[in-house]
Amino acid sequence: MKPFDPERRDFLKKSALSAGSALVLGIAWSGEIVAETDATPEFKPNAWLKIDTHGVVTLYIAESEMGQGPFTSLSMLIAEELEVDWQKVQVEHAPLDPAYGFQGTGGSRSVRRNWKILREAGAVARQMLLAAGAEYLKAPVDRCQAQRSHITHRPSSKSVGYAELVGRAAEMPVPKGVTLKQPEDYRLIGTPVSRLDLADKLNGKARYGIDTKLPNMLYATIAQSPQFGGRVKRFNGAEIKQRPGIIDCFELEEGVVVVAQGTWQAFQARKALKIDWHGGKAAQLDSDNIIQRLSDETSQKPSLILEHGEPIAQLGSALKSVDTEYRLPFQAHMTPEPMNCTVGVEDGRYRIWAPTQSPTSAMATAAKALKALMPELSEAELEARIEIITPLLGGGFGRRIKQDYVTQAVKIAHHMKHSVQLIWPREEDVQHDHYHPLTQHRLRGSLDEAGNPQAWHHLITGLQSGKYGADALAYDIPHVRVEMLRLDSPVPIGPWRSVSNHYNAYAIEHFFDELARAGGQNPLELRLKLLKEARLKAVLQRAAEATAWQRQDQQRILGCAVHSSFGSHVAEIVELIRLDEHKLKLGKITCVIDCGIAINPDTIKAQLEGSVIYALGAALKPPIMLKNGRVEQHNFHDTPILSFEETPPIEVIISYSRLDPGGVGEPGVPPLAPALANALLSAHGKPVTRMPMKLNGAS
Amino acid sequence: MDLMAVTLHVNGSINQVEADSDIPLLWVLRDQLGLTGTKYSCGIGVCGSCMVLLDGMPAKACRITAAECAGKKITTIEGLADQADHPLLKSWLELQVPQCGYCQSGQIIMAYALLSEKHDPSADEIDQAMSQILCRCGTYPRVRQAIQQASEMMRAKDPS
Repeated sequence: MKPFDPERRDFLKKSALSAGSALVLGIAWSGEIVAETDATPEFKPNAWLKIDTHGVVTLYIAESEMGQGPFTSLSMLIAEELEVDWQKVQVEHAPLDPAYGFQGTGGSRSVRRNWKILREAGAVARQMLLAAGAEYLKAPVDRCQAQRSHITHRPSSKSVGYAELVGRAAEMPVPKGVTLKQPEDYRLIGTPVSRLDLADKLNGKARYGIDTKLPNMLYATIAQSPQFGGRVKRFNGAEIKQRPGIIDCFELEEGVVVVAQGTWQAFQARKALKIDWHGGKAAQLDSDNIIQRLSDETSQKPSLILEHGEPIAQLGSALKSVDTEYRLPFQAHMTPEPMNCTVGVEDGRYRIWAPTQSPTSAMATAAKALKALMPELSEAELEARIEIITPLLGGGFGRRIKQDYVTQAVKIAHHMKHSVQLIWPREEDVQHDHYHPLTQHRLRGSLDEAGNPQAWHHLITGLQSGKYGADALAYDIPHVRVEMLRLDSPVPIGPWRSVSNHYNAYAIEHFFDELARAGGQNPLELRLKLLKEARLKAVLQRAAEATAWQRQDQQRILGCAVHSSFGSHVAEIVELIRLDEHKLKLGKITCVIDCGIAINPDTIKAQLEGSVIYALGAALKPPIMLKNGRVEQHNFHDTPILSFEETPPIEVIISYSRLDPGGVGEPGVPPLAPALANALLSAHGKPVTRMPMKLNGAS
Repeated sequence: MDLMAVTLHVNGSINQVEADSDIPLLWVLRDQLGLTGTKYSCGIGVCGSCMVLLDGMPAKACRITAAECAGKKITTIEGLADQADHPLLKSWLELQVPQCGYCQSGQIIMAYALLSEKHDPSADEIDQAMSQILCRCGTYPRVRQAIQQASEMMRAKDPS
């Protein structure tokens, strides 16, 4: 699996140098064609980094940059051990290469899975530079030190820069093992480092997939069956082709494609399409009946996730019990950059600009699509004809784990034998998402004489629902059963920020408050009593102090929730302010995270602010609704996200830790909705069994 | 749809384009002039990602035709690139506002228009202006801080 144009990587190096090498700092943009000059020596000890004779350090980051900051935080890991001058660092999305393993960004894994690898990659290079520097300075290596892109002989203060050592370091043996720095010696890790991708996000230079422009490129769009599973019966293709600027109009398995000279012409032609569809199998399904209908149809039984004690017997004989059912709706991702993919076709080769969370999956997807069109070629031959380029992503949130836009773009480019950019209009994006699934939660719990939870039974029923977030109850309760009926879904389902943790944490954390109140207990104090994980208890304690939990009254009502996910522990407290007898408004939201070592604290804060806002939007705004097997919503006007003025003040507190890092992109999402619901339960005395929630009046 | 010749003054340069009579400015900027900093996201004037300045006033490029912009001074995000020292852009970078960055041209253009009109907008005025630009990553708290900080810097420099 080799990119067909290996020289292209070198273009970038030269473009960076031609701009002058004094201060580099930023993104090296792929796809810029710069005249080739003579090759200069470089030090490239592994797949992650390269140093040239100007001292420019290029770091290759194999995670997609979609705002969560891996270009910077992962670069910090390499730079920490490499001891480079941070001002000389530039970052580039790594090419698709087996050296990086499976390239897919999700599950808040970027830092966790690169934590050791990248520090070692930096340390190996540093050791080789040290050896080279010692040789150059004619000094014993154990008297030399690496610092700010220089090797210095300590006793004499004689020093040589990395730039001068490039050729020599490349000749040094690669060390077998390296010693990594101790946390107290970190220079970069733990400091708020400016993000390498930001400067170009302020001046229009940042390049997203949708910004790809190829010579003579055509613009395509698609109309897919509004009803899931529907197929094209007939359409007015001949009429569409008569429109000015339209190059072609044809059918694919996925729908009807329009190819035009510009995006606007393509979008207008799509609106003028008249398509008769064969109905899909989902025709009878609505958000209100889908769980019931699919449950009735299936012969499956719920599968057990967790069980200890005798929960069913206990519930049967309980003195006091609570029985409730929550239903949480479909949610869309609403990535700001709609789905798109650009395919450059030249001499039977395909260069694919895929704004994807997984270049590895994009390659497999493209090869599969081409295999169906050119069955005579083997997978290996096809992969040799494909290059995947990963631009910046205008939002991901899990949507871009899926590769449907890649399949379509490849098919269209192959059909046209021409370079094509496929853009979905927003309406297509809303109606053909891979949604956060609709789920239903039946919860039963009982209390002992003292008002402590005795038995807990949680039954999750959902469309391709997941168990994460429900597979390890955080509380010490003697009798527990958790089970799930996972239904096959005619509606496309996919990962959405925090995945199943979102709905499972909602059910657990809101029900916990229902139980606590039934037992006459303060929900926060009961949590502190029953939480098994010390780190989770500590963040809750910290949040309680930060919000003065004890100081609640009719005017100031608080709700709390906790959740551990993706290796991190989070507590959130939502404040409601009573304006008058009938009206509440959101006060401040406080979020405390223990994510182990905080690599780039400012990015972590930004991720948690964003997570709170993302989750608050899902809790308060109209969701995706299924009606007659299709999504009723179309665009931002009927699938609104939280706006500027609706965003309350948010305080993020990072709990100091020296433990290995946890994830930060998602763990802030799950506690928000239950914390808000718990505040509403406190204010109104009624549980919140449906989303969206209403601050005022029952929902 | 008829093709017509339109003269567009964009970021200080004059561009002659052949454009459909009803094509929104957004697509002429992106597909014909290669100014991709102005973003498509909703196409119906709701999200604000395509905000540009038209004779200094904020305008959604997906809701005005290129023909309507003939003779007017259009400023896109690329047109602010030489103003990296502007208090707004300095604050934006200092407070590390963008995440994915896709909506940020719209955010910056809107904030720039707001502060150009008034160095010290009230909290309500900031709310009113900035609520027109949606951000899925949730950069709002930092957008607010950056505007407030820039406003302070501008007032310190030019008290009025």
